Amino acid sequence: MTRLPFALRCLSYAAGNLVLAFLILPILAVVPASFNRSSFIRLPPERYAMRWYESFVNDSEWVTTLVTSLKVGVLATIVAVIIGTMAAIGLQAMQRRWRILMSALLLAPLIVPVIVTAVAIYRTAIEFKLSGTLGALVASQALLALPIVVINVGISLRALDPSWLRAAAGLGAGPLRIFFTVTLPNIVPGMIGGTAFAFLSSFDEVIVASFISGLQNKTLPVKMWEAMRLEFTPIVAVASVFMILVAVTLFVTARLSGTKQPGEAR
Amino acid sequence: MTRGTALLFDRTSKRFGDVDAVLPTTLPVEPGEFLTLLGPSGSGKTTLLNLAAGYLDPTEGRLLIGERDVTHVPARHRNVGMVFQNFALFPHMNVATNIAYGLKVRRRPSDEIARRVAEALALVQLDGLGERQIQQLSGGQQQRVALARALVIEPDVLLMDEPLGALDRQLRKAVQLELRRLHEQHGRTTIYVTHDQEEALVLSDRVAVMRNGRIEQIGSSTELYAHPANAFVAGFIGESNLLAATVLRVDKNEAQADVAALGATITAPAAPGLAIGPALLLLRPEHVVLSERDGIEAEVEQSVYLGELVALHLRLKTGGQIWLRRQLNQRVIRGDRVHVGWMNEYLRLLPET
Repeated sequence: MTRLPFALRCLSYAAGNLVLAFLILPILAVVPASFNRSSFIRLPPERYAMRWYESFVNDSEWVTTLVTSLKVGVLATIVAVIIGTMAAIGLQAMQRRWRILMSALLLAPLIVPVIVTAVAIYRTAIEFKLSGTLGALVASQALLALPIVVINVGISLRALDPSWLRAAAGLGAGPLRIFFTVTLPNIVPGMIGGTAFAFLSSFDEVIVASFISGLQNKTLPVKMWEAMRLEFTPIVAVASVFMILVAVTLFVTARLSGTKQPGEAR
Repeated sequence: MTRGTALLFDRTSKRFGDVDAVLPTTLPVEPGEFLTLLGPSGSGKTTLLNLAAGYLDPTEGRLLIGERDVTHVPARHRNVGMVFQNFALFPHMNVATNIAYGLKVRRRPSDEIARRVAEALALVQLDGLGERQIQQLSGGQQQRVALARALVIEPDVLLMDEPLGALDRQLRKAVQLELRRLHEQHGRTTIYVTHDQEEALVLSDRVAVMRNGRIEQIGSSTELYAHPANAFVAGFIGESNLLAATVLRVDKNEAQADVAALGATITAPAAPGLAIGPALLLLRPEHVVLSERDGIEAEVEQSVYLGELVALHLRLKTGGQIWLRRQLNQRVIRGDRVHVGWMNEYLRLLPET
């Protein structure tokens, strides 16, 4: 990179930091907001307290929704990663025109407006008397997360050199062994990325979830949405802090385990 | 016919859509032989190799490895070792695990695997580097690992697809000699693909020159160089002057022809298929000589210094142009006037196509 003059460098640093601040500050603002002592969100808080954290932990409905969200996130991610990985591998093996058609179908949940998907799923769930069940929630969130996994694993697969597969076959390995010893180790980085994004997508999804989740299986974002409309207390900020913690933990873990993959070192 | 052939292409062909990549080809490969398929890109040499490896199915014909018909046997059941142009080493495994892959597939006991991997490493002179990651190796070392991985399974045939293509020129020369040494040591039947004629001449027992999906000529390096079957082979192997000639008479293996560029009627050995009419005279640049007085007058158009040799581009008084390539005692520069002759015994008349 060519070195900019000092003044210009200062300017570009300043501009860069401004953009970062613009991106991150509104999110970080919920942290002090959650320590408000009053019943209203004030920034900065007049007095700090853990009061709303206590309320959150002691309110079984909030805790239940957090657990439901985690449960839905984990189950939907498992489903999406398994189906999405298989789909990505299938796409790679297809002839060109089928591949274009099938990838358009698989990526549809990402392209179709979510509200349309929500209505469609809601209608279908009622038809099969599944509305409000955990199963319907997991299935619908898995559907939304599927394209994310397909894209992430697809990127890893395209980096896979076809001559590795031919070399393995030439050395006597059958298709299953080639998959487990050559293909899989090299797409793990894509699968980890896909897992992290898929989980986050299902964990914080609110539109489809608000259609599907009944009283029994309410997710945390749906509960937050309801709470904000009734009474805008700092407990919503507390819920936000929990969500941020989950997201950050997830991505730090994914990053650390991702760098340990030798395949990524290329 | 098949007395002890290691591998036999039996009227084998391959078509992609309506393109004939390989026309029906019959080619026996002798046990222990180092055979090179030499040709420009698109000549079908890599397709032929992939047919041998089992990565492609032939459109017609058969393929035998030893006595066994493997025409429809998949690559993994063929016991063939392949070295790819980009080496195709598994990036998530270290050197030893890469080499051991084929042995693990064959479920050899772990102590045997360890012993044979160590032997293979020693063979390619990479002793002690088994724990290295692939990314830590130089191109030349990666090439050796690829070779060790292919050899350790004791393949019936070793196949190599332009294995030196990814190496720089200096290294290529060293690895050529190394490959030849290894071949003499392990003595495995080898089919080698390249577009580099020098590589082919250095390495091979026999060279098959390919063009447009067909073997134009097959023979030892010296045969191909001294007795090319046609102008394509003559032009592809070594340097050559191909001069327009008119054949007047053909007797058995000899023919008489007018060569306008030399201003002479010459008698020279004739390649098979030569007929009366237009043809080409092959005169290798090293068989052109300078003389004091006799011969054709010529002017030096260009003088190229090649270290031990000098190459001269000469414009002949007859209107023709030829290259000369030899050790010269005197200094010759552009514009000098010289007299040019040729060594009659090395001339050869070739059909035009």
